[in-house]
Amino acid sequence: MAELEESSPITYEDVPWSDWAKENCDPFKAAEKPEALDDIVVLDLSYGSFAGLYASSLLAEYGAKVIRVEPPGGDIARKMTPFGIKIKDTGLAYIVEGRNKYHITLNIETEEGREILKRFIKRVDVLIETYAPGYLDSLGIGYRQLSKLNPGLIYCAISPYGHFGPKAESKKADYDVVDQAMSGMAWTTGIPEEYEEFPEHTRVPTKLGPWMGWYVGGGFAAFGILAALLFRRATGKGQFIDVVPAEAQAKTNNYYIQYYHTKKKVVGRIANFDPAVFVYTLVRAKDGMAFMAGFSDVNFYALTTIINRPDLRERYPTIKERLTPKTWPECLAEIEKWSKDKTVKEIIQATLDYTGDGTCVAGEVLKPAETFKEENWWLRGGLRKINDPNYGEVSVQGVVAKFEKTPGRIKWLCRPVGADNEMIYSGFLGMKKEEIEKLREANIL
Amino acid sequence: MTSHEKDLDSLPYTEYIREIMKPEGIFEKPEPLKGIRVLDIGTLIFGPMVATYLAEFGAEVIHVEMPGRGDTMRPLAPFADFHRNLAAGFEATNNSKYHIAIDMRTPEGKELIYRLAKKSDVVVENYRPGTTDRWGIGYRQLIKINPRLVYISMSGFGQWGPFTFRPSYDAVAQATSGLIESTGFPDGLPLKAGAWIGDFYGALMGAFAVLVALYWREKTGKGQYIDHPQAENLMRNMDWTWIYVGLTGKNRERYGNRDVAVVPSDIVKCKDGFVAIAAFKESEFKGLCEAMGRLDLFEKYADIDERQKEESQEVIYSTLHEWAKEKTVKELEELGERFGFASNKVFSSEDQYNDEHWKARRSIWIYDDPIFGSLAEVAPVPKLSESPGRIKWTARPTGIDNEHVFIRLLGLTREEVDELYNKGVIGKWDKNVFFSCPPPDWDGESGLFYP
Repeated sequence: MAELEESSPITYEDVPWSDWAKENCDPFKAAEKPEALDDIVVLDLSYGSFAGLYASSLLAEYGAKVIRVEPPGGDIARKMTPFGIKIKDTGLAYIVEGRNKYHITLNIETEEGREILKRFIKRVDVLIETYAPGYLDSLGIGYRQLSKLNPGLIYCAISPYGHFGPKAESKKADYDVVDQAMSGMAWTTGIPEEYEEFPEHTRVPTKLGPWMGWYVGGGFAAFGILAALLFRRATGKGQFIDVVPAEAQAKTNNYYIQYYHTKKKVVGRIANFDPAVFVYTLVRAKDGMAFMAGFSDVNFYALTTIINRPDLRERYPTIKERLTPKTWPECLAEIEKWSKDKTVKEIIQATLDYTGDGTCVAGEVLKPAETFKEENWWLRGGLRKINDPNYGEVSVQGVVAKFEKTPGRIKWLCRPVGADNEMIYSGFLGMKKEEIEKLREANIL
Repeated sequence: MTSHEKDLDSLPYTEYIREIMKPEGIFEKPEPLKGIRVLDIGTLIFGPMVATYLAEFGAEVIHVEMPGRGDTMRPLAPFADFHRNLAAGFEATNNSKYHIAIDMRTPEGKELIYRLAKKSDVVVENYRPGTTDRWGIGYRQLIKINPRLVYISMSGFGQWGPFTFRPSYDAVAQATSGLIESTGFPDGLPLKAGAWIGDFYGALMGAFAVLVALYWREKTGKGQYIDHPQAENLMRNMDWTWIYVGLTGKNRERYGNRDVAVVPSDIVKCKDGFVAIAAFKESEFKGLCEAMGRLDLFEKYADIDERQKEESQEVIYSTLHEWAKEKTVKELEELGERFGFASNKVFSSEDQYNDEHWKARRSIWIYDDPIFGSLAEVAPVPKLSESPGRIKWTARPTGIDNEHVFIRLLGLTREEVDELYNKGVIGKWDKNVFFSCPPPDWDGESGLFYP
């Protein structure tokens, strides 16, 4: 070990760590730096699916050239928008996921359209599609046919049941709510039946508010695509990727499968508790709700000291007593005797002021409209105000991971249907202006 | 054209895909991340799970824990109910890794980290921002000994900014991001997800970021630093929330199971369970209305703009619930197939485990671990035809792979290793801490990688 000690790299820098991180990973300086995926071309053929759109957004944020292919009338995903709110005929969610993409139209229901698609295939690295399994194959443009044109092609298919197995023939489309239902996430999220103080219709399995099934599915698709791109760099081989958003979200659903296998027990709806950690829950405050945690013996000591209830330590001395579903509402009711006439801020302050053994953590539960006002996200670029030539000034989520050398970025937000037809068909495929015009008239573009 | 290719061409589509995916032949295929070594020095879920996703696709992951008790995650068992010393929580976050135990606070422990970092491609950590830098095993130190290193820090709120030093858990990220306040019914409770989705999904996006950085490194030879914030990741996945709040000045409320953007899309209660139903495209909505015997609704609301109005939604959703009440799960699933709308039972873990379709896809991965015996995981996602992911073994006792890593990989001598044990720099499980140990009936040999 002696030789190692001599070459020890320990040098403690003058610049505080946070300052270094901000200086070197500042997303507002992204434009000055290179892009990691700038040699990748992606054809996003998804239809009516935010899993597909999000997957290609992730690749586009890190520099892939993403060609968004819509049918001549536009993707129906442009219409998936709260209460029908649109800007220039495009729904809010689509504007968020149109980022950095070239928007073209192509009618793959025509023979000529399919021939054009094949011309693209020879020059793209990744294809993303969300049609029913076998649909594109029946048109002669599935993986079986396209991988012969381009053996390096990475073909990523997203569907509710996947492309093989007894239910693969189902023609049911992929929707977020179905993904969340099949993933098991909705099963454990929600108010248990026996909590009779809540209205009956609220005591049901509950999906997460946003399209988490779709987004998690899209995230796993992008992960699989990157793994396949690395494999292709080493071997030259493309491949087929089968993404089922419900399987993806199941992968994020704690340990419930593991537990079922060994104990044959099902974890049910858990309200705001956690089967493996307590205290780790939401508590009612005077002006909303707060999160509180004090799980291990020493941290439970901290929590019960803060709320001045040492008697609770006698009632629930170890995690064994604390981890029974009967305890949770009982013990919560005791904690809420303390919390319900305090503001969220006062609750947090009380945990920060504590100086004894262990730590009790508290946090605020924010409404989206309150989250939106927090300076933190705007300083870090988690939320961005973008003045877009097509859609005006809007606020959208930025790029999450902050890279030192190849930061992701938003170059533009979205484009109208077919806005980039000319640029892509002439610039990328080398078509002549008249040819493009003729195809447009024939409803092929 | 070989005869095999010809056979493939003549197969019906889904059989063709089954043939190229071949769930029973996964171990015969190569792994996409083979040759990538990941040093996983974090704890709990948010850091270690990044490494697990990479391990499932072939990376060699070394999980570093404290000697003795090991990772703080080791005792996380639901209802404090363990399986042969193994906590389901620790199991779910640590498959297919090598487990070593180093006290990283000691100078010798740090030297071991440097030697490992020199031979690694990726370092993952999830301590409070600045902690590893202060310990001397941060990015600024490790990049000096290995300029090709991709170093990712996973934290609640990132490495700088007003929230940086806030303590963070999964629930804190869910609470601060607005996810909790947008989940649940308006007249019920704001709801935390029934799982640590900020951790498990946030970690997946960390793994994605690592692969992006590795891809760029393949082209340039350069490593880099990544700051991955958990709460921002949840916010990124909140679809139209922010643009809506910004434009309208209104809050995104809780809408229960109803989707206010994809109408109809809801979870209904029927005679024997709960079913998710969605029908947005015209043909799907028409099919659903037909199944309900309410084609008048289709005529009235075929136009999506009309359908998305608040008052229309009320009519459509209450009709749907009223109708579904008298049906069974099976009927609703079949009607969906017949009339062309999406419908599926709300699955429990038991439903997933026993589902014939998921079985045929090997989506639940049942396997024999050489130390802990029969176990199950959710299979690696997604499924790749040429270089699929796989589960190799489950989480292992604290420090069990010390010799494999220190002797075989780092080239330390037996004497050097013994000295490190004596000084308490490295260690194995503590027999007084059952969750750090192998199962009681372990034979002392099965599953060892060294010698």
